[in-house]
Amino acid sequence: MRTNRRLGFPGWSSPRLFALAVVVTAGSLLLGASGSLPEQIPSYVSWTPETIAAASAGDAFRGMLLAKRCEHCHGAEGFSDRSTTPNLAGMDQLAIWKELEDFRSHKRESRTMEPIAASLSSRDLADVVAYYAKLPVFTDLQDNRSFPQPRPNPSHAGMASHLISFGDGGRGIPPCQSCHGPVAYRIGVPSLANQNGDYVLGQLEAFANWNRANDINMPMRTISTLLTDEERHALAEYYGSGLGQQPGSNR
Amino acid sequence: MNWRKLRVFVLTVLVLCLIPATRYYQIDVPLMRYLNGSRKVDPLSLHLAGEFVENNLGTEQGADGSVTVRMIAQQYLFVPHCILVPAGVPVHLRITSADAVHSLAFNGTIYNVKVLPGTISEARLQFSSPGEFKTVCREFCGAGHYAMRSALKVVPRDQFPVLRSGQRGNCEDQ
Repeated sequence: MRTNRRLGFPGWSSPRLFALAVVVTAGSLLLGASGSLPEQIPSYVSWTPETIAAASAGDAFRGMLLAKRCEHCHGAEGFSDRSTTPNLAGMDQLAIWKELEDFRSHKRESRTMEPIAASLSSRDLADVVAYYAKLPVFTDLQDNRSFPQPRPNPSHAGMASHLISFGDGGRGIPPCQSCHGPVAYRIGVPSLANQNGDYVLGQLEAFANWNRANDINMPMRTISTLLTDEERHALAEYYGSGLGQQPGSNR
Repeated sequence: MNWRKLRVFVLTVLVLCLIPATRYYQIDVPLMRYLNGSRKVDPLSLHLAGEFVENNLGTEQGADGSVTVRMIAQQYLFVPHCILVPAGVPVHLRITSADAVHSLAFNGTIYNVKVLPGTISEARLQFSSPGEFKTVCREFCGAGHYAMRSALKVVPRDQFPVLRSGQRGNCEDQ
């Protein structure tokens, strides 16, 4: 008994200590709550080596069987027949994987894709993504695809090719090709060379209105807001007509 | 003359000169990295938690009137793209990189902040008069480096919006 008493602090009985602890905890909670709002998280994906390994370890053959479900909208060869639906053939697997993961965690909104992505397991995701990454991008005249759309008017093509190759330094718009290829890619960034024009336009507008907000550290929301409406249309037409495969060409 | 003493003296002076030299040329010294441990941050998960989540970026006004600006430099953008600060008030800048090494410079001023991934770079800025400054990246960071520019807007103190706690300001408030 005596030894026990000697160990405790003199004058600090346990009820007093308890009261102090309560006051300190409540105070810190209150202070913490007044200082900050809940965090806005664009996407739960973080490109750590483990994430990249998990996303790129898919089995393309199993993915081919799973992709039968995607055929109706995204096409049997990965090129869709409607220009508002994205083409997936030959796209970087990490880029598709991130979007599926965001659909699954409801960070990117789509009435169609959210339930489909939610029904896939993590393994299914990696597999289906591996399949689409392996699909070739050649032109198949038998395939019902909307991809190379009519050529844009020359003034639009010039505007778009300048933005894609050089950006606009005065307004702080980086060139599209420094992330979306073919000059350079960043991890998780889709190639736009074979993408449908109306889909590109829809996404640019969604980013500008913050209807789509799953870009990590908000590069696309920033850039889309800086672009004018005409420039967004010009870029969409340029990519949608297949000129994005060789940026710099106006015809 | 005792040559041995002279040699020791000269060597000591040279070694002492190295310390400011590493700071001036911003050479990565493991010891300094250890001492600056509190300024470490994971560049891959800036958006998930911590100080640099997207709704914490921009200008923050403390209860005591102090102004803090938080930014992310990434290939090839500064986020937020335009920052708003009041004139005549010391501004505490906290910036980190999400990918490569960048360098934040305000054209027409003496400020040039090197931004390294994994570290929070801090600077004390003060602008005496209102105006608009171009912000450029002064460290080659990749294919889009030459278009990596943004703006800094300095407004008179009375025109600076009153920011509630939790609210972050940028040029859209102006």
